[in-house]
Amino acid sequence: MKDKILAYKRENGKVGVRNHVLIIPVDDISNSAALAVENIIQGTLAIPHHYGRLQFGKDLDLFFKTMIGTGSNPNVAAAIVVGIEPNWTNKIAEGIAQTGKPVEAFYIEKNGELKTIEKMSRSALKLVQYATSLKKEWVDFSEITISLKCGESDTTSGLASNRVVGRFVENFLQNNGTILFGETTELTGAEHIIAERFKKKEDKEKFMRIFNEYQELIESQEVDLLGSQPTQGNIEGGLSTIEEKALGNIQKIGKAQIDSALDYGEVPVGKGLHFMNTSSAAAEAVTLFAAAGAVIHLFPTGQGNIIGNPVIPVLKITANPKTAKNMAEHIDLDVSGLLKLEGSLNDHADNLWGKIIETADGKFVMAEMLKHREFVLTKLYPSA
Amino acid sequence: MAEYKFLVHKEGDSVGVASDDLKPGEKIKGRVLEGNKEYEITVLDEIVLGHKISLKDIEKDEEIIEYGEKTGIATKTIKIGEEVHVHNIKSRRWGGSK
Repeated sequence: MKDKILAYKRENGKVGVRNHVLIIPVDDISNSAALAVENIIQGTLAIPHHYGRLQFGKDLDLFFKTMIGTGSNPNVAAAIVVGIEPNWTNKIAEGIAQTGKPVEAFYIEKNGELKTIEKMSRSALKLVQYATSLKKEWVDFSEITISLKCGESDTTSGLASNRVVGRFVENFLQNNGTILFGETTELTGAEHIIAERFKKKEDKEKFMRIFNEYQELIESQEVDLLGSQPTQGNIEGGLSTIEEKALGNIQKIGKAQIDSALDYGEVPVGKGLHFMNTSSAAAEAVTLFAAAGAVIHLFPTGQGNIIGNPVIPVLKITANPKTAKNMAEHIDLDVSGLLKLEGSLNDHADNLWGKIIETADGKFVMAEMLKHREFVLTKLYPSA
Repeated sequence: MAEYKFLVHKEGDSVGVASDDLKPGEKIKGRVLEGNKEYEITVLDEIVLGHKISLKDIEKDEEIIEYGEKTGIATKTIKIGEEVHVHNIKSRRWGGSK
């Protein structure tokens, strides 16, 4: 199997498979300026979002971690940060600049939006010329970080598409790759299996603390998550309980052992397989994985979740033949043959390997062509 | 190759997953994912692709086994060949269905 890719080697040695000039609004009220520059200058990409004002404590820390992480993603060649005021704007710009990539910061207060848009646009001209002058290099496939999360799952996910991803993960880890997975609530009923996979006792304990904290949060609200977990779409697709969904979910890591347990948006240390505390909501989880350095996301779907991400390609795999047919424009790899026992798990995992190599080399996935750019911040508590 | 219409995660599971749309009265074959064990069952309900079929008679309050693990509890008796879903099983963890 092919194990070299043509990709971008960044200033800090990390490998990216896309080459964005990212326009990052710090807060909700700077979205407009960011989007204006994206419209004016070819080759720029804005990532509007709803927060960045009056956050505090752990929630604010996570906000900065996510924004800095997103700008630092190896798929980003250069970044422009725009906020209403200098402090938080500079904090994000300086965080991204640690990677060594070009970053410029702009503030709207005391300047007005139009003047700021002009300055940002002139800056964008330089940064796009810089980005488009960069040459791809041959690097080992194992140098990239790949994240995993399934969505709108049904029983075909656990039977086939997640298992194909699981076999790929086993192979990629054997080749010294790096993988991130998460979905804390969607491990309910399978958490004992995940807990036993941690190589180190302290990571197992950290995982169980993260898992139990969320269970306690649910209990403190005197609710259960039925209707939310499994979702109505999951139930439509034949999944009956959270335990069944979780056991299907964990097929995505195959039989692999886990190297560490990470909090929201934490960057993994070293290669291997890492669990990250994340929501099971697709866009929130993928946003956090990208902020921690994933450059390609693998997304098995049963009933057809159509999510994308602005900075990383989200590659869709389905084993549901109806979804493959009815939602063809969203699906990158159809493994529904496995339901008829056509081809082995290894054959399908090899096909997936090939698809990821193509994507890394630059071929767009469906979500990119459909301009699916869901960038969603994880919020820990209400703003002040 | 036999035409299998459902698949079973692990030998010993109480349910299989329809890999095709199933009609009542159909006599169908299924197979365990890893291994060679085959099953032959007469379908009792209309079961769409992806929904589960019972591989044995299940008592009320009996654990449902899938992936070799406990995935829920029967809320009523379930006959072999019946559909197994939220109308007759519930989660052990989060509330569960009516």
